[in-house]
Amino acid sequence: MTGDDATLARLMRAAQAGDRQAYTVLLEETAKWLRRYFHRRIGPEKLDDLVQEVLISLHAKRSSYDPSRPFLPWLAAIARYRWVDHLRRDYRTRTEELSEDTATTGDAGDVVLARISLDRLLDQLPPAQAKAIELVRIEGYSITEASERSGQSKALVKVNIHRGLRKLSALIEKAN
Amino acid sequence: MDDATRDLIDRIAADAVPVRPLQRGQGLALAGLAFMVTILAVLFLLGARHGLLHDGVSVFFVLVNGLLLLLGIACILAVVTMASPRVGSNHDGPKWAMAMVGVLPAAGVFAAYRPGAGPVVDLAGAECTVMGLAASLLVAGALFAWLRKGAPVSQRLAGLYLGTAAGAMGSVAYGLSCPVDTIVHLGIWHVAPVAIAGLVGRYVVARWLRW
Repeated sequence: MTGDDATLARLMRAAQAGDRQAYTVLLEETAKWLRRYFHRRIGPEKLDDLVQEVLISLHAKRSSYDPSRPFLPWLAAIARYRWVDHLRRDYRTRTEELSEDTATTGDAGDVVLARISLDRLLDQLPPAQAKAIELVRIEGYSITEASERSGQSKALVKVNIHRGLRKLSALIEKAN
Repeated sequence: MDDATRDLIDRIAADAVPVRPLQRGQGLALAGLAFMVTILAVLFLLGARHGLLHDGVSVFFVLVNGLLLLLGIACILAVVTMASPRVGSNHDGPKWAMAMVGVLPAAGVFAAYRPGAGPVVDLAGAECTVMGLAASLLVAGALFAWLRKGAPVSQRLAGLYLGTAAGAMGSVAYGLSCPVDTIVHLGIWHVAPVAIAGLVGRYVVARWLRW
């Protein structure tokens, strides 16, 4: 099974019609796609939680998918929404360094597409805001460590995180 | 795939009951119905203004209400679309309509300071703003219900458009019974509900659109 858009859209239409088998396959493929999508954009120990949150959101909001449109842009919007929501939460536990062994075994083209998608979202922020968010909310550094690494004062790191996350939430549907 | 995700998928799939996809046309029809009911309620409760059906309205009446109607339609289209999110969607259209309607209060204030113009602040004007806001509630409720069914991912913008749409349509509906035709009155007091409802949507209603 390849998780191309046409196949996923067909499965989603069947799932909206109540086809349990198609829904199971769709959710499995979606979970794989999401793991690739969030790769290196969330701490490894948080990845499964985030994937599960998106799956629950997909289920709760599946009627909002328009069957006449592609599936992946809809899924990506929900995934971005949950990702930004996740970044917003105030977790203080330091995450582990992102390591190579979290690398995906999925299709390389998909990985590039997914990375571009979330990277492009961050690219739309001013560099200082994107850096602060990446260091603290994605890579798990403390405010003090992020301040040292970025050259920003601690207060500025906090302000940049706050403003950056607010801006990100307004950019969720922006195209790559 | 880890066991927890596997279990979750099994549980979710077990709940695979048929759902009816949100149809854009249904959302538009819902908002349109709310607007029509509002108009009927205004005409029934307050009566039509003099000359409404017999070419007895001023050019300012047509201009202001026409622009408000276009703004309301643009915002309704955006709100209905925002219920079905999609990376690549662009919801900037209503911003241009807002900018155009923003000229009206400026024209009203400009006209108010010309010799012979009536007072800017008057009780009748404030009453029109309140009635316009009251007339916006049904459209606001319809759009809110639609967004709650959907999955808006930009709640602040969705709230702003919801409020602006409701305020504009409410002001147009109430305007059918308002007899005052001056640009000072229409440009200020009939546009005020749009701004107030837009701010309420942006800062109050948006919080209830989270999911």
